[in-house]
Amino acid sequence: MDFSLRTNLNDQGGSHLTYKIVFIYWCSIFFLMSCAPRKNLIVLLPDDNGQVSTIVVENKGGTQILSEARHATEIKAVDVSPTAPVSMKEEEVLKVFREALSALPEPPMRFLLYFISDTPRLTAESQRQIPEIMRAIKAHKSKDIGIVGHADRVGSREYNYKLGLERAVATKNILVSKGVDPSGIEVDSHGEDDPSIKTEDNVAEPRNRRVEITVR
Amino acid sequence: MKWITGIFSLFFLFFPIFCNASDGPAGSISRLKGTASIIRQDQVIPAQIGDKIYMMDSLKTGRDGSLGVIFKDNTLLSIGPQSEIIISEFLFSPAEGKLSIVTRLLKGTAIYLTGIIAKLSPESVRFETPVANIGIRGTKIAVKIEDTTPRIP
Repeated sequence: MDFSLRTNLNDQGGSHLTYKIVFIYWCSIFFLMSCAPRKNLIVLLPDDNGQVSTIVVENKGGTQILSEARHATEIKAVDVSPTAPVSMKEEEVLKVFREALSALPEPPMRFLLYFISDTPRLTAESQRQIPEIMRAIKAHKSKDIGIVGHADRVGSREYNYKLGLERAVATKNILVSKGVDPSGIEVDSHGEDDPSIKTEDNVAEPRNRRVEITVR
Repeated sequence: MKWITGIFSLFFLFFPIFCNASDGPAGSISRLKGTASIIRQDQVIPAQIGDKIYMMDSLKTGRDGSLGVIFKDNTLLSIGPQSEIIISEFLFSPAEGKLSIVTRLLKGTAIYLTGIIAKLSPESVRFETPVANIGIRGTKIAVKIEDTTPRIP
């Protein structure tokens, strides 16, 4: 562009032509910018356990199924079928998606704590697990902790909802007393409705007297 | 008959109020680098670690930005620089059978690792781009929308 302007200054006679060319040049860029289809690239990746599932990519043009690690399909427009799967090298994937890959959060960690029957008091064994949970919260710098309380099916549904909630709140209080910011903790109760071990009503089951802590 | 029509129209008028099962946050920002913002009802909020994300929020990153989100169902999502994604739908109440997660990448790059919703109800998981829909049956994917900024020769 600099070059054409300079030519223009030196060559007064042909100035209009030069300007026109510059103008058309910019126009075509804006035209291409607004109309050019943005090509999409979709890659199937193995998950953290190395397992690969299946994805179905579809639009008005057709459907493509990807079911192997680092198989990719490209889509040019909404009415053009996704291309047949092409295998990508690991380095290529890392190059294209480096920043996004490094921004992917660690999977949340889950902990189970158990309670003495009909109380919001932890069993001795579960009490010993608290330091480990505190370490995980610190390592994750977690500001999003979910605590869900549960009960077994002895007693009414309403009673067990409340018992589950008391257990969740008691667990929250323990974490807060160890220095966790309470604003990042959410408590809930699933009562007797979400058992680890399915039982008939009014059956005592220690493995269902629990809270689940999710450290996100 | 008029009062029936009246009741019906009242019902539809207030329908959005009846179905606000999406009040709670969908997730939170757990990783952040450079400039990034949350766009919520035309408001641009600078993103910070720990910020809650709600259904209908857009997430946008600058030239040097990237961010990662953990959803309530443990779905993990991250976007690279100069990217934009909308959380179009998020419903997670297994007890009521309400499960849905729909995200739409408008530009840039994204990584997506499915969570509990994909396990309980794979057909309720959809990742969209301007030119295709992706159905995901419990897995990890990478998506890129090519940058159309022209290179000036």
